[in-house]
Amino acid sequence: MGRTGKTRKWPLTWMSALSFLGLASVASSAFAQQANPGLADLSLEELANLQITSVSRRAERLSDAAASIFAITGDDIRRSGVTSLPEALRLAPNLQVARVDARQYAISARGFNSTTANKLLVLIDGRTVYTPLFSGVFWDAQDVFLEDVQRIEVISGPGATLWGANAVNGIINVISRPASETKGLLLFAGAGNRESGIGARYGIDLAGGALRVYGKGFDRDNTVRANGTNVPDGWHNGQAGFRADWGTPANGFTLHGDAYRGTIDQLAPGDVRISGGNLLARWSRDLAAGSHLQVQAYFDQTEREIPGSFLERLATFDLELQHAFQPFAGHLVTWGAGHRSARDRVTNSAGLAFLPASVTQRWSNLFIQDEIALGERLRFTAGVKAASNPYTGWELLPSARLAWKVDANQMVWGALSRAVRAPARLDRDLFIPGQPPFLLSGGSDFRAEIANVLELGYRAQPSPRLSYSLTAFRADYDRLRSLEPIGGGALVIGNKMKARTNGLEAWGNFQASANWRLSAGATFLDEHRSFRADSGDTNLAGAGNDPKRQFVLRSSLDLPGQQEFDVMARHVSRLPSPAVPSYTAVDARYAWRLQKELEISVTAQNLFDKRHPESGAIATRSEIERGVFLKVKWSH
Amino acid sequence: MVALIKRVLLMAALLAAASALGQGERGLETQIKAAFLYKFGGFVEWPAGAFTRADSTFTIGVLGADGVAAELERLVAGRTVHGRAIAVQKLKRGEPLAGLHLLFIGQPEASRLADILATAKGQPLLIVTETEDALARGSMINFITVEDKVRFDVALPPAERGHLRISSRLLAVARKVITS
Repeated sequence: MGRTGKTRKWPLTWMSALSFLGLASVASSAFAQQANPGLADLSLEELANLQITSVSRRAERLSDAAASIFAITGDDIRRSGVTSLPEALRLAPNLQVARVDARQYAISARGFNSTTANKLLVLIDGRTVYTPLFSGVFWDAQDVFLEDVQRIEVISGPGATLWGANAVNGIINVISRPASETKGLLLFAGAGNRESGIGARYGIDLAGGALRVYGKGFDRDNTVRANGTNVPDGWHNGQAGFRADWGTPANGFTLHGDAYRGTIDQLAPGDVRISGGNLLARWSRDLAAGSHLQVQAYFDQTEREIPGSFLERLATFDLELQHAFQPFAGHLVTWGAGHRSARDRVTNSAGLAFLPASVTQRWSNLFIQDEIALGERLRFTAGVKAASNPYTGWELLPSARLAWKVDANQMVWGALSRAVRAPARLDRDLFIPGQPPFLLSGGSDFRAEIANVLELGYRAQPSPRLSYSLTAFRADYDRLRSLEPIGGGALVIGNKMKARTNGLEAWGNFQASANWRLSAGATFLDEHRSFRADSGDTNLAGAGNDPKRQFVLRSSLDLPGQQEFDVMARHVSRLPSPAVPSYTAVDARYAWRLQKELEISVTAQNLFDKRHPESGAIATRSEIERGVFLKVKWSH
Repeated sequence: MVALIKRVLLMAALLAAASALGQGERGLETQIKAAFLYKFGGFVEWPAGAFTRADSTFTIGVLGADGVAAELERLVAGRTVHGRAIAVQKLKRGEPLAGLHLLFIGQPEASRLADILATAKGQPLLIVTETEDALARGSMINFITVEDKVRFDVALPPAERGHLRISSRLLAVARKVITS
């Protein structure tokens, strides 16, 4: 496994180990100075100024969830120095993030990764960012004002009962701070060898609530091939938006919206253009003791023109209602319903066609879940969702979860779920080339992909300094997409691939001292794909390209005089087909808060590596170069 | 699969060892909240009738936060509030609140806040919570985590109704004080 990769990258691993050792000496002296005063002897002021570790907060907030959930905090994002949402997602050990070129990413959980990965559900402040073209995410159209992100919750494993079809392998939930927490002015500007960007946000009190508006823009440099030649994929993007809140998230009204426009270089026949906007309203209310109602609606419009391939205009309207109540002691029932309609208009090209070119599609769902307390320590949750899609009608998505709180600091959980990946236009409506005779045709009887998943997890916080989570899973997939030959060299999309995955996800946090935190994560994935006996497909690699192992190690150090030093090392084992060597990337960030309002930071990515590939075949893939980025941030 | 099971077993063994080492310790956030609860007592005046005898204990009730209760028990050993010994009572749902001077209601019991407050109405009982919008629902002091720090907001009207006087020193440390 990855023998070549290992020998080639040995020096990097060694160097990253060295950098951690360097840190260790600084931090251990800091640790020695830190006494542990009796908290009861501190003054009120001193207590109010104690920094609590995100470790305990995270463990307490997440300790009840019977799922493999990892939270990236706003602080984690800031301290990593990343400038985009996909880069921030690298902080979650339970995700596979591979950068493809300047604008494209392949992001998945628990395998089946590609630029058209379709088993992950992504929400930005409650809005599903989803393209019905391939039931996945166009990452180049999803930007957020990272400085105002409160946290990103990453759940690996099925969450279909609550979240719906497509939450087969995981859910990413990006949550921004309420406007009441982002008052005042924030300005930043940054520049480096790979990108430059600016941004501004202003937040005020407004009519009993709060409002913030923001704007940002960036230029990302083009990537290069293995031989050093430039790939013309430079990217320029601008985005603006607002959020207004009245009341609290639990009892109030929220309105937010964004608009964006971007251009990506493409050699011929012309530049790629992306634009769009969205508007979301959410109202939530505590009705009575233990009863809570939430109603949400959004409109999302997006346009993508890839000259030579297609032009797509998609307008989505979505309405959701959710109600939680306690019918009897020990029961918490959550039920809800949702409806989405989307008008998708594609202008086809000679190269490929979605037929019919224009469709209006509708999805509906109805779900109910009961969380039952079986005694003080045991909690059983059972639920089912019925979800309809425009191709196969209603699908049932049941799940059952059991959580056992061993004591205040330990929890064991298990879950059984059935998840469904509903057909997308890519499965049914895609034709290549754009006119007959077609070499590839969408499967007119393509059915939903199915996953049956067993998960077992353990989470603990054995001491205030240490917390960790372990999850083992087994998933059986059936009716995965395959390409079936129909004679004359032509192919039709079918459902004849099966797969079984076994895996392990582990991560932990260790607060080595008051000013030094270490985090580590590891994922292991065994994937066995096969075709049904009646399939004519032979390309098992078509379902995605996944590493067997992935490790991440992070160190966050607070230095005297309002300085911060962060290091993150990631190791991703080789990808089998197309072959991508394993790599180890080390990122570091140093920040100095010169005054209360002013912070200067330098972030270096791929510190010990001139460049490396993360995805794709050698002849056509981009490599990710070393990057250095200097940022100045002013907030008042 | 065998390799996977081995890996799980190895990790489980390591983790069991780690948890044995750290047994009994509590999260820093829990410790800070417990310390605050103890300190609050010193910055609030109870009406004379709140204590039946001159040597009555100062009694803190904790509902839905066993971690805080355990920490508090450890922390108050040998300490006093207004010269009185301190007793910590771990409460079960529905248990009467008579005889308590301070009540901390943990997040798990937050949904029942209205019922609990109805029971305690008019009683000289300082109510402390850790739940968003609890102040709007009748709590007096509410913990909130702001930038990785445990802070608190204070609502004066319900405290006044319970004839409790909160010192200005405590109010000065509060993040927000609601006066009407």
